[in-house]
Amino acid sequence: MNYNELIRTRDESLAHLRRIHGDDAETMIADARYGFISGLMKDVLEKPPVEKVTMTDRIDRLMLNRWLGIPFFLLILFGVFQFTFTISTPLINWISQGMDWLAGQVAEISPAWLASLLSEGIIGGVGVVVSFVPIIFLLYFAMSILEDTGYMARAAFVMDRLMHRLGLHGRSFVTLMLGFGCSVAAIMSTRTIENPKDRLVTILVTPLMSCGGRLPIYVLLTAAFFTAYQGLVVFAMYAIGVILAILLAWLFRKKLLPGESGHFVMELPPYRLPTITGVLAHAWQHGKAFLTRAGTIIFSAVIIIWFLNYFDILDNIGRVIAPVFSPAGFGQWQAAVALIFGILAKETVIGTFGTLFPAAIGATGFGAVLSSELGWTPLIAFAFMAMVLLYIPCVATLGIIRKETGSWKWTFFSFGYTLVLGWLVATLIFQIGSLFI
Amino acid sequence: MEKKKLTIALAGNPNSGKTTVFNNLTGNRQKVGNWPGVTVEKKEGNLTFKKHNFKVIDLPGVYSLTAYSLDEVIARNYIVDEKPDVVVDVVDASNLERNLYLAVQLLEMQTSLVIALNMMDVAESRGHRINVAELSKLLGAPVVPMVAARNQGTEELLQTVIDAAEGGIRVKGINLHYGHDVEAEIEKLEKSISGGALAGSYSPRWLAVKLLEEDKEIEKKVGQA
Repeated sequence: MNYNELIRTRDESLAHLRRIHGDDAETMIADARYGFISGLMKDVLEKPPVEKVTMTDRIDRLMLNRWLGIPFFLLILFGVFQFTFTISTPLINWISQGMDWLAGQVAEISPAWLASLLSEGIIGGVGVVVSFVPIIFLLYFAMSILEDTGYMARAAFVMDRLMHRLGLHGRSFVTLMLGFGCSVAAIMSTRTIENPKDRLVTILVTPLMSCGGRLPIYVLLTAAFFTAYQGLVVFAMYAIGVILAILLAWLFRKKLLPGESGHFVMELPPYRLPTITGVLAHAWQHGKAFLTRAGTIIFSAVIIIWFLNYFDILDNIGRVIAPVFSPAGFGQWQAAVALIFGILAKETVIGTFGTLFPAAIGATGFGAVLSSELGWTPLIAFAFMAMVLLYIPCVATLGIIRKETGSWKWTFFSFGYTLVLGWLVATLIFQIGSLFI
Repeated sequence: MEKKKLTIALAGNPNSGKTTVFNNLTGNRQKVGNWPGVTVEKKEGNLTFKKHNFKVIDLPGVYSLTAYSLDEVIARNYIVDEKPDVVVDVVDASNLERNLYLAVQLLEMQTSLVIALNMMDVAESRGHRINVAELSKLLGAPVVPMVAARNQGTEELLQTVIDAAEGGIRVKGINLHYGHDVEAEIEKLEKSISGGALAGSYSPRWLAVKLLEEDKEIEKKVGQA
C-alpha cells in the first residue's frame, strides 16, 4: 500500500471517529492515556485526605467550566472597567480643575510666548496626560488583584482552549494579557514560547491589545461623547483589540507562517488572597512608568508640538495627511497631527489635543471643543478610538519588535499592517455607522 | 570476562532530577556535544559497574513524545533509531500522575523501560504513600525508588538495568486500550502498514497510533519510506 493510500485510509478513520465522537483521535488517545494513569493512581498512591477537594478545586469547577469560563472572564473584565471608572472619575475631575487653575495662574506671565508654552504646551499637553494617573493606577490595582489571586492563569487556561481550536499556541494568550499593561513587556515575555512561528505570530499581534497608554484617550473621549455608557464603550475597545489579535494571529499562522503549533501544559497555581503590599507595588510600578513617560517622551513631544504650532507649521503638516482620514470621519489636521505624534507614545494623542485646545482640559469642555471646532460626533469619536487602538505600535514597541525578531522586515510589516488595519476598521465603523445614524 | 557495552538512554520530565541522576551515574566522565543537525545540547557519559561498561545518553527533558517540539522529536528519534538497550525514565515521585504520562508513552513504544522513581523523600514528606510493587506490576516495568539528590538508589538502578538488559527481569510493558472505536481504526491501519518498509524499525501498532494522532514527523517518515 502506498503513502497516499495509507494517508487516505487514515483520514477516513479520523473523519469516522470525529463523526461518532465529535473529537479528534489525538484527544481520544490522550484521554485513554490519562484514563489509564488516573486509574493506576487510585491503586498505587495514597495521599493525605486534605488534598482531596480544595477550595481551589471548587472555584475552578466554575471558572474553568467549558461553557461558563469565557462568559465569566468577560464579566470579570467588564467589572474591572466599571470599578475603575466609578472610582477614578471624581479624582480625574479634581486634578483637571487643579490644572485649569494652574493654567490660569501662568497665563499672566510675560513674555507672552512663555505664558503660552507653560499654559498651553506644558500644562495643556503634559497636564492632561498626568490627570489620568488615578485611572491608570486603579486599573492596574484591579489587574494585579486578578493576577495575584491566580485568576489570570485561569483566564489564560480558558482562552487556551479557544486558541488551540484556532491552531494557536496557548501560551500566546498569557502574553496577550500582559499586553493590557504594556506591549513592550508583553513582547519580551514571548521568549517562553519555544516554537519560533508561534512566537513570531504572538509578537506581531500583541500590539493590538489595548495597553495602558491608550486608556487616557478612551477615557477622555468616552467622558465627552458617551457619558452614560463610558465603561461599556471602553470595554468594547478592549474587546475589539482581543478579537482582532486572535483573528489576525489565526490568519498569519495560516497564510504567512503555516505549520504545527506547540502544546503546553498550563500550570494552575492554587487561588490565594493577594497581599495589599503586593498589589500596591504592582499598581505603583505601572503608575510610575506612566508618569515617567509623561515627564520624558510626552513632555518633549508636547514642546515640539507647541513650537510647531506657535509658528504655524503644525497645521501645514497636518493638512497634508488629514485627507487620508476623511473616509474614517476624522479628516481634520488636528486629528492627523495627534495621530502622528501618538506614534511616540499613544498618550501624546491627548497631549496634542491638550496643546491645541488649551481651554478644554476638563472632559466635558473637551467634548464641546471637539464637536464645535472639529465637528466630531460620538460615531467619529468611536472610529477615532478604534484607530488609536490599532494603528502603528508606539516607538518603544517597534524597537522591541526589531530586537526580539531580529528582523527589519517584520518590524516594517507590523508598522504597515497595523496602520492599514486601523484605517480599515475606523473607516468601516464610520461608514457603516453613518448609514444608521 | 569482557562484556558487551550497554547503552542507557536517560529520559524524564524537566525538573524530575534527571540531570542529578545523570551526574550520579557518570561522575565527571561526561562529554557535551550537540544533537546532529540542531543546537540542542547532547550529553553522554561512561561508567563501569560490576564489570559492565555503560554508555549513558541524556535525552532532552520532555513531558511527552509528540512531534510538537524539537526536544520531543530528538528524544523519540534517538530511542527509535539508536535502539538503546534500556531506557531509564526518571520520574518525580512527588508529582507521579503528571510524570507518568511520559512513562506510558515510552511503554507504548515497547522500549525496555526502567522507572527511576526519584524524589521519594519529597513524596514522603508530603504524605504520599506509593505502592512501588503495585506500580511496577501495573506498568509491567521495574521501578527503582531513589533519592538522587542524596545519591541513594544509584547502584540498585544500575543492577536493575543490567537485569533488564540481560533478561533477568522481563519488561512486559502495557497494552494500552484506546477504546473500541479507536482500536478498530488502529487495526485497519496496522494491516496497511505491516507490509511496508517502516515496519522493520517501528511497531505497526505504534505507527498506526501516531498516524491517528496526525503526527507530522511520522507522516513524513512514512512518506519517505
